[in-house]
Amino acid sequence: MASKFGLAGGIPERRVRPIWDAIDSRQFKNALKLLTSLLSKYPKSPYALALKALIHERMGKPDEALTVCLDAKELLYKDDSSLMDDLTLSTLQIVFQRLDHLDLATGCYAHACGRFPNNLELMMGLFNCYVREYSFVKQQLTAIKMYKLAGEERFLLWAVCSIQLQVLCDKSGEKLLLLAEGLLKKHIASHSMHEPEALMVYISLLEQQSKYKDALEVLSGNLGSLLVIEVDKLRIQGRLLARARDYSAAVDVYKKILELSPDDWECFLQYLSCLFEDDSMWKFFDDIDQIHPTKNIECKFSHLTEEMFDSRISSASELVQKLQRDTENSNLRGPHLAEIEIEKRKFLYGKKNDSELLKSLLQYFLKFGHLACYASDVEAFLQVLPPHKKAEFVGMLVENADSVSASATTVLGQTTTILKVQELTGNIFELPLGEIEASAVKLAKLYCQNLPLSKDLDPQESMFGEELLSLINNMLVQLYWRTRDFCYLAEAIMVLELGLAIRGHVWQYKILLLHIYSYIGALPLAFERYKALDVKNILTETVSHHILRQMLESPMWVDLYNLLQDYLKFMDDHLKESADLTFLAYRHRNYSKVIEFVLFKQRLQQSNQYEAARVEASLLQLKQNADSIEEEERVLENLKSGVQLVELSNEMGSRTLRFNEDMQTRPWWTPCPEKNYLLGSFEDFSYCPKENVNKDREENVKRSIQRKSLLPRMVYLSIQCSATALKESLETKGSGGDLKTCEELKSLLEEYTKTLGSSFSDAVEMITEISQGARTFETLGSDLVDWLNFAVFWNAWSLSSQEHWHVLNMLFERLILDRIKSMGSSEMSSCYSDVQVLVQIITEPLAWHSLIIQACTRSSLPSGKKKKKAQHSDHLPSSPMSQAIKDSIHSLCSTVQEVSNWLLNKINNPEDDQVERFLTTLKRNEGPGQVLGVLESFIATSEESEVGSRIFESLKTWSKADSARKTVTAQQRVLREFLQICESKRKLLEKLKQQMTHV
Amino acid sequence: MVCIRRATVDDLLAMQACNLMCLPENYQMKYYLYHILSWPQLLYVAEDYNGRIVGYVLAKMEEESNECHGHITSLAVLRTHRKLGLATKLMTAAQAAMEQVYGAEYVSLHVRRSNRAAFNLYTETLGYQINDVEAKYYADGEDAYDMRKNLKGKQIHHHASHGHHHHHHGGGCCSGDAKVVETTQAEDAKATSSK
Repeated sequence: MASKFGLAGGIPERRVRPIWDAIDSRQFKNALKLLTSLLSKYPKSPYALALKALIHERMGKPDEALTVCLDAKELLYKDDSSLMDDLTLSTLQIVFQRLDHLDLATGCYAHACGRFPNNLELMMGLFNCYVREYSFVKQQLTAIKMYKLAGEERFLLWAVCSIQLQVLCDKSGEKLLLLAEGLLKKHIASHSMHEPEALMVYISLLEQQSKYKDALEVLSGNLGSLLVIEVDKLRIQGRLLARARDYSAAVDVYKKILELSPDDWECFLQYLSCLFEDDSMWKFFDDIDQIHPTKNIECKFSHLTEEMFDSRISSASELVQKLQRDTENSNLRGPHLAEIEIEKRKFLYGKKNDSELLKSLLQYFLKFGHLACYASDVEAFLQVLPPHKKAEFVGMLVENADSVSASATTVLGQTTTILKVQELTGNIFELPLGEIEASAVKLAKLYCQNLPLSKDLDPQESMFGEELLSLINNMLVQLYWRTRDFCYLAEAIMVLELGLAIRGHVWQYKILLLHIYSYIGALPLAFERYKALDVKNILTETVSHHILRQMLESPMWVDLYNLLQDYLKFMDDHLKESADLTFLAYRHRNYSKVIEFVLFKQRLQQSNQYEAARVEASLLQLKQNADSIEEEERVLENLKSGVQLVELSNEMGSRTLRFNEDMQTRPWWTPCPEKNYLLGSFEDFSYCPKENVNKDREENVKRSIQRKSLLPRMVYLSIQCSATALKESLETKGSGGDLKTCEELKSLLEEYTKTLGSSFSDAVEMITEISQGARTFETLGSDLVDWLNFAVFWNAWSLSSQEHWHVLNMLFERLILDRIKSMGSSEMSSCYSDVQVLVQIITEPLAWHSLIIQACTRSSLPSGKKKKKAQHSDHLPSSPMSQAIKDSIHSLCSTVQEVSNWLLNKINNPEDDQVERFLTTLKRNEGPGQVLGVLESFIATSEESEVGSRIFESLKTWSKADSARKTVTAQQRVLREFLQICESKRKLLEKLKQQMTHV
Repeated sequence: MVCIRRATVDDLLAMQACNLMCLPENYQMKYYLYHILSWPQLLYVAEDYNGRIVGYVLAKMEEESNECHGHITSLAVLRTHRKLGLATKLMTAAQAAMEQVYGAEYVSLHVRRSNRAAFNLYTETLGYQINDVEAKYYADGEDAYDMRKNLKGKQIHHHASHGHHHHHHGGGCCSGDAKVVETTQAEDAKATSSK
């Protein structure tokens, strides 16, 4: 071993230190200078070369870095006397990793370990390499070698972790677990065990094999003392007993935990499960795929006789009563909620105890109803009640709310809670319009009355009555849904904007505004509110669903690009770097975290949103460059002609997709990105409570990714087909395109139609009939754009058929013109969903079709623009196909022109007039506008001494007209961006028209 | 307290969602991971009755100095769940683990001068005292109180001390050490950029 004290890679430390310092302080030029002089003294030192490579890499010269690295590697391999220390290797490793060549780094370490087989340091480096590659088998083998060499417990545990990972991730046989168990047993027999985490691994290993009794024995033996926190130990014991179906012993353990910590809700549920000998809870824990897993677990009772049930319920009641007595003065919610849980179980068993259940909920209200968490506490209990009981409960709350003796904050809290319960139960959707309106007005008054309470609060503290504005907003949106009177939405915007002016940090306001702005087409403003949420890091995965879909369907490409890039960069970086952190857990001997963390990485890697965003990022590039076939071809080349995305599409069926989005923060009217109730009509009771929407999404999301990832390849193939089609049609009667390309396109089209739930021939029939008016385009539903895409590529596959061209032209005309007609002179606010569809048609199918025409005409033109045109155009006779192309260009041109005209008409509408119209909708004497009226008159009369200077300032500076203008400006911006796209398409088509006059 | 339990890596998703709803923090994801992978015993979450994470505490052991001590990096409770004693319970759990698992002698933390609510919690409820004032600790120029609380410490479980001993000596793997340096930088970045 060459590394000696004071020597770094064979070079004196004092010579190397300044170089590292320069690198650390990012003075790369200086570092390079120092290194050059070092290299002149040690020209053959792999370490010096590794440093050079590192500097190159940091300077952004990856090619140079790789060359130098490979030189260093060669020296290491060639020269037997060469210095092969961990410092050199780890420096090389860093560079190789940054250059995406993990394999080369691993190779170096493997070579070094072969040369010095008993060097623990090098082996650790090699183990680390395998961790980075997620090569669990090789990790295991290396760790075992280290264990044999050094006999240390941690190396054995590294091996055991690697085995567990093989079983969990690679689905290797569970026999491996037996091997791991054997290794541990042997070690314990000779050396015992010294770390709590090691014990946890041992227990989990036994648990994985369902050897619960063995695990219990270990826990209660000497090793159990490794766990120093008593409650932790008891929790494990309880779980093991339950899984071993030793329910009575488990019940005792859980009782003990509850006595130690009477508010431990999870423990209480586990206690009940054991009491009722119900194992569904444990199954539930194996299947967690939500960011906030609901603990509303199904209860199984069928195996219990009524007598058994009764006796167990009564012992649970006894325990709960005792807990309540013990914690009388501590204001804990748990023991009281437990009482409701018991009533719920009785109710589910069929005890017809609904009045007791309601009574217990009411008791809980009287104790905790003023707290902001009341509604979410009781949500799961309300769900089991039938609708009329829910309504009865709301009535009970109203009756029992304390409006006399209680303090202002209690009254405010209780009122807010009652409204939240009304929302939760759906009760609010059954009220007559007038009642909802009156209620909203009442809440607005309450909000104003209570503002003085928040006078002295720190700006970051939650304000009293903060939630009232969200509740008012929810009512106003509902009123809009039921009446279609835009004024309610305008009012909702004003209410929330005012709320934000007063308290800038309230995320609920921002999210609600984001969705209202999105709905009325003020997307730039929606995006601004989204950005104000300060979404970054992992939140891009859990929160960006609020805005992503609207942006994808918008003409705001620059913002969309940034949104996608930020998200993908976070995910890519994390996936790339997470292995480094895994090793941290190994080093700190936190073995259970190693496993969790690797599974967590997998969870992110399988994110549905990540997959979809990667496809969308490619599609965005294609959309942005579609007006120039040369640019488009460059994009396609970078996308490897779409081949990889087709592979993704093929794999999608068998992939596991994970849903990490936090849907609970979405407003009621759009519970997931694909749903927006406001787009449909209001029907009585059509409101559904927030369910686990992700389950229904999986199939749709998969199919959508499958479909979209075929597009780049289809664009590519269509261009190929078109390139030769026109020429051939002019020369012979060719079918267009070479056979292989055509066949591939056909098979992709078949795949594509499958994802639309149709066969190829049915799909053709469908679009043909729609083009002829024999069917309405409503039959296409929400997949309209996808169907048009199909039509475009189907035509590209059969360019020689004039009829197909005609079908396609008619489809574009019909779908676009119908929409323009139906939008007529409507305000943007009420027809934005139509605009969204138009944006998609113009930027996808119509763009692809224009590309195909570009490819056709290019082939008919003289090769290369440098040659003069005149040469041949006249000797090419006109063919039926060139006529079809001309017709198509003509048709597209006038269709796009219609869209432009509509947009221009909107844009030319003076902004001031629009603002004025917006504001006048709010000035009515009855119906909508009353809530705002309340708030405005409060603003007019409020005094600084009453509400404090900060709130006073915000009230006075807030302006209704400003908010209206911002909204209008944002809508206008969307229209202008769209117009720009249309104009660019139109110019392109005009140019093509010109070119075709020569054919 | 709902259920105060150790955080799992999966909890990170919901923990960060708390940030949306409390004050946003400027920690990189790596920094959270660094904590949970290094001192998983010190991370606690408060899980509410419906399974939602409504608060968390992020803490670590300081190993550079001679005295072994813990440091509270971050404490968050949803606005809807304040004034229920959750912060106290989270802090108590983390402090107990520092003491029992790592034998910490004291625990330290930083708090904004202007954050009265937090300051009161630390001094009155939890018994912290001002040790020092760090001028312009936060990015916006605000000072921080450097606060401390003594723990009983010293009754370290022998197994745990074994683990701790190991931390001092690092893993002996060069790149692994480099990582630690990097994450420490991340922490400094936080100190200067957090609100």
